[in-house]
Amino acid sequence: MALSPVVTHTAESVQQTQQLARAISSPLKNFTSGQTSSSNGTPKLLAAPLVPAPTTIPVTLDLAEQMNDEEKRKYVKGKKLGEGTYAIVFLGHLRSKPSTLVAIKKIKVQKENDQGMAPDAVRELKHLQELQHPNIISLLSVFSSKDQNLNLVLEYLPLGDLEMLIRDTDNVRYGAADIKTWMGMLTRAVWFCHENFVLHRDIKPNNLLIAADGEVKLADFGLARTFADPMTNMTSHVITRWYRPLELLFDAKHYSGAVDVWSVGTVFAELVMRAPYLPGNTDIDQVKLICEAIGTPTEDNWPGVTKLSGYAVPAQHPVRGKDWYEMRFGTVGSDGVDLLMKTLILDPRKRITAHQMLEHRWWHSDPKPTRKQDLPKKDGPSADDKMGADLKRRPGVLDDDRGSKVARKLDFGA
Amino acid sequence: MMILSTPGSNSPWPTKTSGTGSPASSACGPSPRTACASCDPRPTPSRRSRLRLASPPIPPPDFLTPDEETRLVKFFTVELIRAAQFCEMPTEVRATAAIFLRRFYVTNSVMTYPATDLLKTSLFFGCKAEGYFYKLVQFSEKFPNTTGEQILAGEFLLCQGIRFAFDVRHPFRALEGAILELRRRLPDEDSRVRRAHGQAREILKFSPLVTDAYFHYTPSQIMMASLSIVDEGLVDILVPTPPQNGDQSKAKEHAEMRQKIMNTIADCRRMLEEEPPERMMDYWSSPEIVKAIKPLRKKLQKCRDPDRANLVNLQRARREQTVNKEKKAAKLDDTGVFGEELGREPKRAKLDKADDVFGPPL
Repeated sequence: MALSPVVTHTAESVQQTQQLARAISSPLKNFTSGQTSSSNGTPKLLAAPLVPAPTTIPVTLDLAEQMNDEEKRKYVKGKKLGEGTYAIVFLGHLRSKPSTLVAIKKIKVQKENDQGMAPDAVRELKHLQELQHPNIISLLSVFSSKDQNLNLVLEYLPLGDLEMLIRDTDNVRYGAADIKTWMGMLTRAVWFCHENFVLHRDIKPNNLLIAADGEVKLADFGLARTFADPMTNMTSHVITRWYRPLELLFDAKHYSGAVDVWSVGTVFAELVMRAPYLPGNTDIDQVKLICEAIGTPTEDNWPGVTKLSGYAVPAQHPVRGKDWYEMRFGTVGSDGVDLLMKTLILDPRKRITAHQMLEHRWWHSDPKPTRKQDLPKKDGPSADDKMGADLKRRPGVLDDDRGSKVARKLDFGA
Repeated sequence: MMILSTPGSNSPWPTKTSGTGSPASSACGPSPRTACASCDPRPTPSRRSRLRLASPPIPPPDFLTPDEETRLVKFFTVELIRAAQFCEMPTEVRATAAIFLRRFYVTNSVMTYPATDLLKTSLFFGCKAEGYFYKLVQFSEKFPNTTGEQILAGEFLLCQGIRFAFDVRHPFRALEGAILELRRRLPDEDSRVRRAHGQAREILKFSPLVTDAYFHYTPSQIMMASLSIVDEGLVDILVPTPPQNGDQSKAKEHAEMRQKIMNTIADCRRMLEEEPPERMMDYWSSPEIVKAIKPLRKKLQKCRDPDRANLVNLQRARREQTVNKEKKAAKLDDTGVFGEELGREPKRAKLDKADDVFGPPL
């Protein structure tokens, strides 16, 4: 995997990684063959010296079941952090080192779902297994408990999420330097996904969790997918509405990392305004808001847009100029406004890429980004509950208490 | 293909209760594969009587050898590819499914879990992993005598067997990239590049899936190996040659690296050449291969794990067990949250009990 040009590896993060050595990459990596007492595999009746089977592993477990049990036994499940329709999140810790906390996300077996393992779980596992980056939540292990419940062991991120900080205007104050640090972490995470050919497709403040050291981590890969081959159709029913770009609202079947970049732009704007930038109530309302705030897409500013099957615009608004943005987002400086405008370019082909974002001059201009240990944070039990709430949610939908009751229905069959 | 043998088994599973299919030929003790070759196949009268007294009357079945298992896994992989072709599944789905099946049988034996069922499950799950969602009913209808329950019964088993690693990287995209590059470098040799493209793709759709190539080589190495089979000169063009003028030591380093790359490609190529794509048809039409596989499948029928041969029943038993355990778990504390060790299946408990000195019921 590619290394980020901007990622800073702190000593403690490296140490932590070593402690929580991933045990899931190779099926045999952590398996001690001495404990093999299975009668599975190629039955071999040679007069091998009989290894007394440890009483903890029943002889009837097959090799994969034994590995699973070994994985499971490494963790102790603690109190429940939250429960939703899709998953239950528990606090947990390493059995061998109780001070190392983890979050255990138990995927619920869907009673009415007769299609086997949920697509969200498949997608989340597929991508988190492969992506390892300081700004992406780490999947430490996977195991099944009580027969066929899927448990994802994730790193524990106790300081809530960005949404919490944005909303708590009474207690949390932050400035341009703090925004720059958070945006840097988010951009590196998105860049890393795209560098590895993964589209996240659900970037929003409550999927950006905060670690104990202040590091922001992109979570919830339940809607992620790998880049499609040319000509392959993709579903446009992704990304939570407020963060969804026009190409998806117009039902484009072929799209790129630009959809994630748009989401990053809307999160950027939200960080500055401390309120959702484009909180549409319906998909039609969302198009209207975008046209008003950013401009109406036309064949001039976005060649080909009128050919998209869902193309419909309410009225003609000119594309906003820099002074318009300066008035609203001036706190991040002229360079910051420039970067924001480039992430919110209507035509996805002209929109800045995550890689180009990292090369933008805003990162070098004043003020310098805040060191992560000095970032504003929110402590206490509410933060704990937040991780529970964030992980249990179904991907792609807004929380009920966040204005819109019309949660987007996802078409997983597409 | 590496098949894991598990040494030190203190309870070999094949304590079959019924006499069906226990070959009489392996009547000389617990290790038929090794002992039979060196001893008289028919025990002397005295030995026979001793055997009758000392051991259970049903001898262990004649197990498959690792080599036979490898051949069967290959055979079932071809069956999977054939099924995928029949269902007109995208190339990536079929390749992913084939690799899932092979990965599963790295840590499992075809004698333990039935490959005929798991290949359908692999296909179904391969679709899911590639984001190509099939309705279960639509899928199961494509196969004779197959219900959705049968396909799902093995799903969790498969996922656990491949340790929940669902991302398989294929050489197909690498090939498309290489072809674009070759078109640019060889603008006047369109037909040559086009021919290589088609042939290499046919190789990639078969040879790496039925050999161990995916376990040993990267997607780009596999792609280069397939190109080298159809047109070696093209690989020579693609792998950069050392700069002619410049730093001597750097050039030497480069040359050594290039040699290393070429050697790896050659090794991979040898592996792919064992199973050229033309062989795919042979697997179900060439009389010799069909004839060679038949006795293996018959042998497999006789040495399957009776507890795990029917995945649907196994799955139902597990569900029941979970329900029972949940009732019990109500009073358990911390350990209960995690669920206990998976208990032994009820059926096996019965089997073990039957394995006493007086033998099974008649």
